[in-house]
Amino acid sequence: MLGDIATLVLQGTMISAVYALIAIGFTMIFGVGGTLNLAHGALIMSGAYVFGVLAQGAHPAVAFPITILVVALLSWGLYQILVRWVEENVVITFLATVIVAVAATEVILIRFGSSPLGMTLVSGAVNLEPYGINARPRIVQFVGFVISWVAIGLLWYYITKTDDGRSILAASMSERGAQLTGVDLHSVRSKTWLIAGALAGAAGIILGSTGGATPLMWLNPLALAFMIVVIGGIGSIKGSVVAAYVIGFLEQFTVTFVGHGFRGILSLVVLVVFLLFMPQGLYGREFAHD
Amino acid sequence: MISTILLLGTVCSTVTGRLGRVAGTLRRQVLWPVGRTLERLLAPIDRVLDPVADGYNRSLGPYFGEMSGLQFGVIAVSVAGLLTAGYWAPMVGPLLGGGLLRTLALASIWAIFAMSWDIQSGYTGYISFGHSALSGAAGYTTALLIVHVDPTLSIWVTGSVSVLAALVVGLLIALPTLRLEGPYFSLITFVAVLLFYRLTTAFSSLGGIPGFGQPDVFTWDPMLRYYYMAIPMLLIALALTFMARSNLGMILIAIRENEPAVSAAGLNPTKFKLWSFMLSSVPMGIGGVLLVGFTGNVDPSTFVVVDNSIEMIAIAVIGGMSSILGPLGGAFLFEVLNHQVLHGYSTPVRYLFLWLIVLFVLVFARDGLFRAIWHRLGAVRGESE
Repeated sequence: MLGDIATLVLQGTMISAVYALIAIGFTMIFGVGGTLNLAHGALIMSGAYVFGVLAQGAHPAVAFPITILVVALLSWGLYQILVRWVEENVVITFLATVIVAVAATEVILIRFGSSPLGMTLVSGAVNLEPYGINARPRIVQFVGFVISWVAIGLLWYYITKTDDGRSILAASMSERGAQLTGVDLHSVRSKTWLIAGALAGAAGIILGSTGGATPLMWLNPLALAFMIVVIGGIGSIKGSVVAAYVIGFLEQFTVTFVGHGFRGILSLVVLVVFLLFMPQGLYGREFAHD
Repeated sequence: MISTILLLGTVCSTVTGRLGRVAGTLRRQVLWPVGRTLERLLAPIDRVLDPVADGYNRSLGPYFGEMSGLQFGVIAVSVAGLLTAGYWAPMVGPLLGGGLLRTLALASIWAIFAMSWDIQSGYTGYISFGHSALSGAAGYTTALLIVHVDPTLSIWVTGSVSVLAALVVGLLIALPTLRLEGPYFSLITFVAVLLFYRLTTAFSSLGGIPGFGQPDVFTWDPMLRYYYMAIPMLLIALALTFMARSNLGMILIAIRENEPAVSAAGLNPTKFKLWSFMLSSVPMGIGGVLLVGFTGNVDPSTFVVVDNSIEMIAIAVIGGMSSILGPLGGAFLFEVLNHQVLHGYSTPVRYLFLWLIVLFVLVFARDGLFRAIWHRLGAVRGESE
């Protein structure tokens, strides 16, 4: 029992860190532009595949930053080429982004086929059985945890301590207010997409090296990102991090104590409860006015 | 780093500016003259058909929408074409790669799905990503009835229970979610369909990945099969067009355009959204039953996967959302492109191509191809209003 709880805490902590990484980009884009980026999952997937390809030739430490850069640019390109032309219409925007996501699946199917692409960021596992914990966490999971918190720390510093970052925060609170104080909304949105892409790339690398990359791997991260954003409160980065841990621990709890087939069902119940009784989420966005 | 990106941005914006000018020239030099020539050619036909259309407008126009002479002619020719396809398709088929009747039957089923999606999502603006859960519910009900209750049950029993099941699942999705605002609704339906998929693969009583092979196809005769699919499709198109042109359709559009105004007029938007969802669930159920009769197999990848929902949306987008007949045309265009024109390519390549077309339509022709053509046909002799 105690061992189970220790496993739960350990695995939950590590999964949640990755979930936070998945969700933050999604919530930032939603917060700043009011755009639902359903291609977020596809960006995560592209992160996994780009890393998978690069890591075959280069050292993972080299492939890692290149992948993040590539995915960030992909995300930025998606905004510049497609989303900025349709973003004033919410419905068209998310239809267009979901079509991008399925189109990305087809590209991957054409290029890599449907079998999973394996990759390693860091190999090896830790045996914790002597300490009474019934798990063999892999080192890459620890690395994911560290990457997640480093990214969150950097993002926090950027958003709260630099003028550039504060303009993002301002635009997410009130677009009109931000414009009146001389913030260029277009460049703020481009920056947001760039950052969200970088985070998605990191999340993709970790997901890819823990479970391999498959052409349909965009679905679950997208659903997760959405649940986390609703529970955490739209546009709130703090909320996303907290909600990522809530969802991560809930899932790990069901997997440990109920069964693998029920993974996600408890989180869905929590999501519905939140939608019905607390639609603003845990840390609803700091609205000024629209 | 930042300066490189800024530089790229400038390059991009100049290129798009240049592109915009090229597009403008293209529109002025090529598209407009072609359009004018077509108008000149078509105007006499419009004039000839006007008396017939007037008769229709006086008798049925108030229920199904008024048409100009040319629009009436196009509809009449299309309906006649669909009704006689069993005879001409085998002759034309070989030119398009063969198997045209099968494609048309499949297109009829997808037309039902896309029209059902349209009456709910296209009209109210509450985009559902979960409609494949409805057809899936119908399909799985049919399969479970045949496997667990009685394999000899008639199609009328299994069919009506299945449609009822689609309605129940529709209510289960709609009741808690339709009070939510647009994006939340969409994402909940998205999660719902993922959950349905996980249930079908997690529980062996639901058949797992292989699904159920027990349900029988309606018939193996391609011509009969086509009519089994096409006639329900035309009836559903008629019924949904009638609904969409009635007061109900008007309220649904009003919900899309301005929901607070609908409340202010003393109508409860949630109630009408619920109505639209139920109105959409019933034909989805019928479509699901027909799909069972078409494939003879019920499994997650033909019924449930989220790609199916997205395909419905894509079809509706190509044809033109919130027009019922647009998605109908879209379904035939989509399926003929997919299974006939692009016949020689592998599945991912075909779908990639189709998704790119959908993206193109979304960005450059938001109203959809068939809606644009329809309005153009109505205005060949200048705006009548």
